[in-house]
Amino acid sequence: MATNFGLAGQSAPPAHLAVRGVHKSFGGVHALRGVDFEVARGEVMALVGDNGAGKSTLMKVLAGAYAADKGEFLLDGRHVSISNPNDAAALGIQIVYQDLALCENLDVAANLSLGTELVKPWRFLPRILRPLDDLQMEVKARAAIDKLEVRTLQSVRAKVGGLSGGQRQAIAIARAVGAESSVVMLDEPTAALGVAQTRQVLEVVKRLRETNHAIIYISHNMRDIFEVSDRISVLRHGVNVATWRTGDTNPDEIVVAMTRGLNDARADAA
Amino acid sequence: MLAPMQPEMKLSLVNRFRALRETRFGAFVPVLLALAAIWLYFGLVLPLYDVATGVESEFRTVFLSPRNIYNLFMQSAVIAALAVGITVVLLLGDIDLSAAATAGVCAALLGVLVLSGIPGWLACLIVMAVGIVMGTVQGLLVAYVGIPSFVVTLAGLLGYQGLMQKILPTGNLNVDDPFVRGFARVLIPDLWGLALGVVCVGAFAYIVLRKQSQRRKLGLEQDSPLALWGSVVAFGAIVLAVILTLNAYRSLPLLLVLLVAITALLGWITTSTPFGRSLFAVGGNAESARRVGFKVQRIRAAAFGIVGLMAAIAGIFGASRYGSVSYTAFAGGSLLLEAIGAAVIGGTSLFGGRGSVWNAILGALVIGSLGNGLDLTGASAADKLMVSGAILLLAVAIDALSRADAGWR
Ligand SMILES: Nc1ncnc2c1ncn2[C@@H]1O[C@H](COP(=O)(O)OP(=O)(O)O)[C@@H](O)[C@H]1O
Ligand SMILES: [Mg+2]
Repeated sequence: MATNFGLAGQSAPPAHLAVRGVHKSFGGVHALRGVDFEVARGEVMALVGDNGAGKSTLMKVLAGAYAADKGEFLLDGRHVSISNPNDAAALGIQIVYQDLALCENLDVAANLSLGTELVKPWRFLPRILRPLDDLQMEVKARAAIDKLEVRTLQSVRAKVGGLSGGQRQAIAIARAVGAESSVVMLDEPTAALGVAQTRQVLEVVKRLRETNHAIIYISHNMRDIFEVSDRISVLRHGVNVATWRTGDTNPDEIVVAMTRGLNDARADAA
Repeated sequence: MLAPMQPEMKLSLVNRFRALRETRFGAFVPVLLALAAIWLYFGLVLPLYDVATGVESEFRTVFLSPRNIYNLFMQSAVIAALAVGITVVLLLGDIDLSAAATAGVCAALLGVLVLSGIPGWLACLIVMAVGIVMGTVQGLLVAYVGIPSFVVTLAGLLGYQGLMQKILPTGNLNVDDPFVRGFARVLIPDLWGLALGVVCVGAFAYIVLRKQSQRRKLGLEQDSPLALWGSVVAFGAIVLAVILTLNAYRSLPLLLVLLVAITALLGWITTSTPFGRSLFAVGGNAESARRVGFKVQRIRAAAFGIVGLMAAIAGIFGASRYGSVSYTAFAGGSLLLEAIGAAVIGGTSLFGGRGSVWNAILGALVIGSLGNGLDLTGASAADKLMVSGAILLLAVAIDALSRADAGWR
C-alpha cells in the first residue's frame, strides 16, 4: 500500500539538506546510482535498505568522507559543494559512523575535539603548532557528555580503548552534537547495543529532534525506526525505492520494499 | 543509563600492566625498571659476586662511577637523538630504516664542508637542511605515492649508504672544527649546571601545580596530590642526581643540554599541539583522522622531515663527540638498530599511536648501559649482540601484549 510515496510527499516539511542525482562508484561497484534524498529540521529521517544498498556510502558522501562522482547538494535551497570533511563540518553536517571512527589510543576529551582542537591564541605560531588548550577541551567534553546524560562515564580523561560499546556510541554521538551542527547522521547506532542502551540512544535521538536538528537515522531495526522516525526512505541497489511518512506505513510494507523493491511489491499486491 | 558502570576491569596481570601504561607517567615505569635492573646488575650484583668469589679483594663499582656514567651518557646521546626522531614516525605507525644512513651522510657532508673552509655554524645549518630534505623526500613517497614506509626507507638506507661512501671515499675523515667539536667539549660550569637543573625542576613543579589549580577553578577532575607531588619529586631527584653525578666527574656537557632541550621541544610539539595530536590520531586510527579533516599526507611527510632533521643532529653530535666521521660509526654499523631498539624499549609502539620522545631517551640509556656494562665485563661482541637481541625481543613482546586489542590470533 505505497500510496504516499514520491520523494517529498505533499505535506513534507521544507528540506534543510537535500541531494539530487548522487552517483558514487568504487572501481567496478556502482554503489549509488542517482540517489535523491532530503531531510528537514526537527525531523528524524530513517534511511533503510538491505545490506549493501548504499546507505553508509550515501552518508559518507554527505559527510564529505567520499567525494560524489556526480550530484547536487542543497542546504536550505542553496547550492553547496561537499568534497571533503571540512566542507561538511563547515556546513554543520556531522556524522556518527557505524565503525564510530574513534581513536582508541586517545582519551574521551581528545576524541570529542578531534580535528577541531581548541588552541591558545599564540598568534605568532601557525595554528598547527599553537599549544592545545586541553583544559577547555575537557570542559567542552564534560558539557557534551552531560548534555546527553551519559552518567556512567567517570572521566573524560579515560582512554576510549578501555570503554564499553555503549559508552563509545555515546561519545561518537556527543562528538557529532558537540560541534556546531544542524544535520546529524547516525549509522546503525544501536546495532551493537543491548535493550537498555538502545533505549538511551533513542532518547538521545529524540532530544536531538527537540533541539531542531535534522537527523538521518540508519537502522535495520523496524521497532526502533517506527518509534523514532518521522519519515522513512528506502534504498535498494543504490537507487531510491520510495519515501513514506512513518504514520502512513507499516513495518511489513517497508521490509517488502527493502528486499524486493516497489514494483515487485505492487506486482504482489495486484 | 547508556552503559554499565565503569569498564569491567579484569584485573589479570596483563590488564593491570596495560592500565599502568595508559597513565601519564606510568608509561615510564617499565623502562625505568629495566634501567634500574641493568644498573643494579652491573653496578652492584656483579662487583659483589666478584668479591664473594675472590676475583676482587674489595668492593669496587666501575660501572656506577661518575666517570663511567659520564661516558655512558655521551655514548648514548647519538643513539638518543636518532631514537627521538624515529619515535615521531613510529607514532604514525611508520618506520624509518634510513635514519642512521641519513645521519651518516649529514656527518660526512659536515666533515667535508668544514674541511673546505666553511664556518662550522654554517656547515651545521646546511647539514640540518640537507637532513630535512632527505627525510621529507622519503615522506613524500610514503604519503603521496603510497609506498609502505618500510620499503621506501629500506631503499633510502641503501641509497644513502652509497651516498655516504661517495662523499667519504676513504671511509674516514677527521673533524677538527672548533665549533663542531664544541658541542661535546664545552662543559657547563658546575654551579651553572646545578642552577639550570634547579630552574628546570622549578618550572616543572610550577607548570604541574598551576595546571592543578586551573583544574580546580574549572571544576574538572583533579590528579591525586600523591601522583602530583610524586612526579615532581621523582623528576627533581632524577635531574639533580644526574647533574651532581656529571659534576663529580667533569661537568654537564653542552651536548646533553642541547639533546634534552631538543627533546623537550619535540616532546611539547608531539603532546601539546594540534600537529602532535594529529600524529597520535593517525597512528591510532588513520581513517578517523582523515574523516575529521586532518591532512594525513602532509602530516606523514612532515614527520619524516623531522626524522631527517634529528638524523642530521645525531650526525653533528656524533662528529662532535668522536672528532671524526667514519662509515662504520653511522651508516654501516649497528646505530640504526640500536636507535629503533631504543625507541621500542622506551615503550613506543611499533603499531603506532603510543609512545613519547622522552621514553626514547630512556630506551637509549638502556641500550647504552647494556653495551657499556658488557664492555666492562669483557663480554665479546657476540655476547653483546645476543643480549641486545633478547632485550629487544622482550620489549616488542611487552609492546604487543599491552595493545588493547591483543588477543590469541
Ligand atoms: N570503500 C569501498 N570500497 C569498495 N566498495 C565499497 C566501499 N564502500 C562500500 N562499497 C560497496 O558499495 C556498496 C554499498 O555499500 P554500503 O554503502 O556500505 O551499504 P549499506 O551501508 O547500505 O549496507 C556495497 O556493494 C559495498 O561493497
Ligand atoms: Mg552500512
